[in-house]
Amino acid sequence: MTDRPPIGVLIVEDEPEFLSRFSEAVLGDPQLRLLGAVSTGKAGLALLDAQPPDVLLVDLGLPDISGIELIRHAASHHAACDTLVVTMFADDGHVIGSIEAGATGYLLKDASAARIAAAIHEVRDGGSPISPSIARRVLARFRGAPPASTAIAPAAAAPPAEPSPLSERETELLRLIAKGFSFDAVAEVLSISPHTVVTHVKNIYRKLAVHSRGEAVHEARQMGLL
Amino acid sequence: MKLGRWACSEGLGTARRLAMLVACWLVVGPGNATAQGLDTVSPTRAQVLVTDSAQPPAADDPRWQDRPLAQDEPGPSAWYRVRFDRPVASPESSGPTMLYLPYFYGGGRILINGSPVAEVPRTTASLRVRWERPLLLPLPASALKSEGNELLIQAHAEYQGTSTVLPRLVVGTDSELQPMFERRLFFVRTLPMLTWVAGTIVGLLVLFIWLQRREEVLYGLFGLAVLLWAQRTSTFVLDALPSGTWEAWRIVYHLCTGGFVVVMALYVLNLAGWSRRRLTHGLIGYWALGPVVFLLFGEGVAARVWTAGLLLIGLLLVTVALAAAWRQRSAETVAIAAAVVLGVAAGIHDQWVATRSPWLMQWLPEWGDHHLFLLHHAANLLLLVMGVLLALRFVHSLNAVEAANRTLEARVQQREREIATSYQRIAALQREQAATDERQRIMRDLHDGLGSQLFTSLSRAERGAMDSGAMADTLRGAIDQMRVAIEALASEEQDFDTAFGNFRFRWDARLREAGLAPRWEIAVPDATPEGGSPLAPHDALQLLHIIQEALTNVLKHARATTVSIRLALGGGALALEIEDNGAGLGGAARSGGRGQANMRNRAQRLGGQLEWQALPQGTRVSLSAPWQAPVVGDGEPSAVAP
Repeated sequence: MTDRPPIGVLIVEDEPEFLSRFSEAVLGDPQLRLLGAVSTGKAGLALLDAQPPDVLLVDLGLPDISGIELIRHAASHHAACDTLVVTMFADDGHVIGSIEAGATGYLLKDASAARIAAAIHEVRDGGSPISPSIARRVLARFRGAPPASTAIAPAAAAPPAEPSPLSERETELLRLIAKGFSFDAVAEVLSISPHTVVTHVKNIYRKLAVHSRGEAVHEARQMGLL
Repeated sequence: MKLGRWACSEGLGTARRLAMLVACWLVVGPGNATAQGLDTVSPTRAQVLVTDSAQPPAADDPRWQDRPLAQDEPGPSAWYRVRFDRPVASPESSGPTMLYLPYFYGGGRILINGSPVAEVPRTTASLRVRWERPLLLPLPASALKSEGNELLIQAHAEYQGTSTVLPRLVVGTDSELQPMFERRLFFVRTLPMLTWVAGTIVGLLVLFIWLQRREEVLYGLFGLAVLLWAQRTSTFVLDALPSGTWEAWRIVYHLCTGGFVVVMALYVLNLAGWSRRRLTHGLIGYWALGPVVFLLFGEGVAARVWTAGLLLIGLLLVTVALAAAWRQRSAETVAIAAAVVLGVAAGIHDQWVATRSPWLMQWLPEWGDHHLFLLHHAANLLLLVMGVLLALRFVHSLNAVEAANRTLEARVQQREREIATSYQRIAALQREQAATDERQRIMRDLHDGLGSQLFTSLSRAERGAMDSGAMADTLRGAIDQMRVAIEALASEEQDFDTAFGNFRFRWDARLREAGLAPRWEIAVPDATPEGGSPLAPHDALQLLHIIQEALTNVLKHARATTVSIRLALGGGALALEIEDNGAGLGGAARSGGRGQANMRNRAQRLGGQLEWQALPQGTRVSLSAPWQAPVVGDGEPSAVAP
């Protein structure tokens, strides 16, 4: 680990208190390198393109442009960049929107410095945090999807409509998490390692982002925009 | 009457009967012509001797007079002597030679060449006779000569008649005369018999229907008219009656005739809508006068005086029928008026025939000789028209009822839809109201709990009574409280499962971070498909608060390594146990009465009780409260979810 290059982190947070809190957490970890800490979306965008970070910490409630836009930009232009959305409560409705936009995880605002650093490492290691309500929303999102795509399937121009992009194991995992099971407990039930659980979650997030992008494209086609 | 009855059961019958009636007119004429052919002999004149004598007068009696047949001879009895040659039988005709008499009202004796042929009963002191039916008598071949045959017939006047008449008789073969005889028999006897029987049945039936539905006056009047006319028609059916019965029957006959006229007048008035109570009573009263007049003055006076009044009523009937047709122009009134006019015409015709009106005899002498009366056929036609009109009325009202039913059904369905809609609206409002109530309870909870805690902390911080560690503790506690509130409230379905999942996930991580090994044993029923959460949000809030407080205590004071959380909803109870293996009650109690008081408070809001129990190692907090599975749709808080 030590011989790995440090992880570049960009922080976009309009509240000075938390901006400094997150910055200190990043600075306090020798494995992390703070590439920038800005309080507006536009500054964030500029920095993002100037020096693409490994991890982007972004708050949604920015004064100028929406954090979602920032996440979308990062996802489309800097595929290697992991985005963690900062939220007060993990069940915030915006979290799912952020994941659909391409975020790979979330970070609670009241997390301790150690927790912040750990979350950044986890996401770089291929894992994603998840909460029961996010799991529930993801399930609902995909449950709603199949009927929609099968209904449109007869249209020749429609993109290949998968019944549900989630594997059975992924669905089961989401169900357990939705019930409040810890990653360890889920791992035990599914006979996998806790690390695999968070890897699954990251895959699920990716599918959700792809799915929602596909849906957006499809909808745009439907509306004649593409 | 018969016509009417058949028409009711079978429309084709009507047409057939009408055709036969017309055929009668046509056939009787040609029949006459045949009678003058070679196959039949129909003498037009006879030697007549008016006498009461039972013995045939001598052939050379000077009183014999040459007279035309079918003429009234003044006297109660008369002998007729008719000479004829035996008709030449054509190849087509067959059978014995017959004598055909179209009518023989008063009865009498018939001899051929001195041999008796038949004797028809005549009116005597004990018997009253009126023969309506025609006679077809075989003439014995042994007594017949080929030429110069002599028929000797004694004819009597009908009862109370003053003159005698012998119809135009016909002699011919059976095959020639049989059809003629049967045709007349049908019209003067079979048809009246059918009228009598069928009219009685139908009249009673219609009256029975009317008894069930008194407001349908036309039905009652029609039934009565049919019944009266049927009884009156018996006059053509009963040839001979014992004299005692005869008197009673004559009264019945006149009453039926009068009753028919009165009822018809009432019917027409009713149909036109001109019925008046006084007029109705007057007409019925006049009819009821009939029996009194008969009993007091006998048939002679009654027939003259009372019947004259009936003529006036008949005139009223005709006038009303015509006026109603003229004024209203409805199919009903016009049809009735036409039938009534036909009846009047038939009546006039019959009068002419009966009195041998010179006008009729001049223009239609042979028809007049046939003595066919038409009034009872016309009356049948009138009753038939009435029956058809009533049937149409009946069908029409059935259709109207059906249409009304359909309208009513449609209205009921519309109302049902409206009610369903408003029920849905009310249910939605109730759900909204329940959700609002629930939100307000939680708001109050936040206000009283979190709010007051923050204000107290603020006050303490401002006067410097809190160091930064205590302040962070307080704020973390506040955030925890808010988290629980948000968890209880936030899930869109307000589903306890979601709330508890979030809670468990958060606390599991926190306990592990603190080095505790948590064990969760959760037995909570799933939310029902209709969205009934096992616990209402407000109750969930209380429960999560209690668990959170207990776990916070474990975290802060117990110095435990394991903690197990057992929650079970079922069997009408909520059971919660939180058990740690820490330092025991002392620690928990030290944390201050406030936390425990809060927990007790919340337990009470659940209607349950909270207990602390010191274990050999550690502490057990247990909560038991009543619990009921949610019933969806009754507006209970637990069934708030839409």
